[in-house]
Amino acid sequence: MANNITEEFRNGLSQGQLLLQKCLDCGKLNMYPRHACPHCQSDNLGWERAEGSGTLHTFTVLRAGPPQGFEAEIPYALAVVKLTEGVQFLARLSPDDQGGWDSYECDDKVVFSAKQTQDEIEKPCPWFARVKPRSTIR
Amino acid sequence: MVAVKDSWPLYINQDSPNDPVFVGIGEIPSGRYPDRSFIGDLTKVGLLAIADAGMVPTDIDTIMLIPNLHSFDDQADLVFSRMVEELGLSKKAKSSFMVHSGGSTSDNAVRAASGLIATGHARSILVLQCEHWGSAEVSAMIHMLTKNGIPQEWEQVAGLQFNAIGALITKRYMYESQSTPEEMASILVTLRKWANLNPNAMFRDKPLTIEQVLGSRMVSDPLHAMECPMLADGAVAFVMTSAANAKDRGIREAVRVAGSGGCVSHYSIGQELEVGKLGWEIAAGRAYQQSGWKPDTADFAEIYDSYAAVTAIAIEGLGIAAKGEGARWFAAGTGDPGGEFPINTNGGLLSAGHTGVGGGTALLVEGVRQLLWKAEEPRQIAGCRRCVIGGSGGSYMDAQVLMLERVEYGS
Repeated sequence: MANNITEEFRNGLSQGQLLLQKCLDCGKLNMYPRHACPHCQSDNLGWERAEGSGTLHTFTVLRAGPPQGFEAEIPYALAVVKLTEGVQFLARLSPDDQGGWDSYECDDKVVFSAKQTQDEIEKPCPWFARVKPRSTIR
Repeated sequence: MVAVKDSWPLYINQDSPNDPVFVGIGEIPSGRYPDRSFIGDLTKVGLLAIADAGMVPTDIDTIMLIPNLHSFDDQADLVFSRMVEELGLSKKAKSSFMVHSGGSTSDNAVRAASGLIATGHARSILVLQCEHWGSAEVSAMIHMLTKNGIPQEWEQVAGLQFNAIGALITKRYMYESQSTPEEMASILVTLRKWANLNPNAMFRDKPLTIEQVLGSRMVSDPLHAMECPMLADGAVAFVMTSAANAKDRGIREAVRVAGSGGCVSHYSIGQELEVGKLGWEIAAGRAYQQSGWKPDTADFAEIYDSYAAVTAIAIEGLGIAAKGEGARWFAAGTGDPGGEFPINTNGGLLSAGHTGVGGGTALLVEGVRQLLWKAEEPRQIAGCRRCVIGGSGGSYMDAQVLMLERVEYGS
């Protein structure tokens, strides 16, 4: 199901951007995006691009019983990510260099990893991955 | 801004003639019973509860339905008053309607029924629940557990489903409390010991060990298959009325609601700020303020347990176990039969069977049964007088607490 809120968020993802809803009256960020600002009830709402870093509040690796359409993807990891901007949401977690998730622990730092695949257009949700050592970023 | 008081007078009053009380319960075994009929089961538990209250169907003026999750068609039968016809109450019943908040429905049904009785809108209420998802088509039920309570725009697109929600909570809980897999599995073993004493439990005949739990396949890290609830068929019912009506009818013992507290903390698991804590501490504070007593003077508890971590988190928030010690509280045998503080004495959802919205209802009915001193030996907690009920619905969106106490009326 798409509507004006989800469409703009998904357009952002498809362009490699993680957008956060911002209330243009009180300035607070809302995730998930809302139809009225939960802080001040304004409907004067816009978007702000997230810096993209946060921590792993919790995560799991689903190995059985996936939803319809996710059968080919298991195992895959789901995480609750808390962004430095102070909002949080459910995200997919990329495997580590070993191809699994054993190296992850709660409260680890993670970063938004912009991907653009067919899958991401069909299943539009943010993906996060381990923060790479600084030397490998450049 | 208008100044508003942050508290208001509490109207729960044991001395009121309209103090709402439980006076009867009914239950049939949980498990897989493909030959049982949905309406037949509801009729049976309804009549059991009415008879247990020393009543006949025409003593009931209000029917309150707890929903099922296996079939929208069956649900429609309930919504549109089928049970009024089935119980012979056409033109006699005043009202028939459904209450729904998922796994915490039973707690909210008690609140709704209590309000109707206390204000005189109802005299005697029959609350009915039946679930058939143990014998429903498995793939359809699994599909449902990837949809209900999971926001379609934000979380269904990530591939979330219910065992993964339980795993997200378990992971954070184990991280914060440094509980071991063995300590988590011990919760399942305590529940199974109780189920082995409950003739209505799905796993009444099967013992369980920590090794079996940890030897089962990994479903959603850190949850093993045997740490995930088994979908079951089941049905329970209870009758509530006013204290004055109970006394008039010669009822000698009943169970009153000394207080309740609740906290709705989120809708989406991705929006829970403290996945390892949930809303239990806030709900407990509200409940204890109203009841005037706490678990330290209670005899036992019946706490929602579709995943072990949910219960460990709950008993910490309720103050039954120390912070971070919920799983080790179970591992020490504290909640076992014969233990210091019996918990989930019917075996809970994990061992009596997860009967959907009915799982919490079965725990509630077990609490009332124990307080009426009607549990089968040796499961009965001798002389028990106070019980803490804890419920939760959806993606553990809320923590609901009922403080129940036994009352005895003089002759």
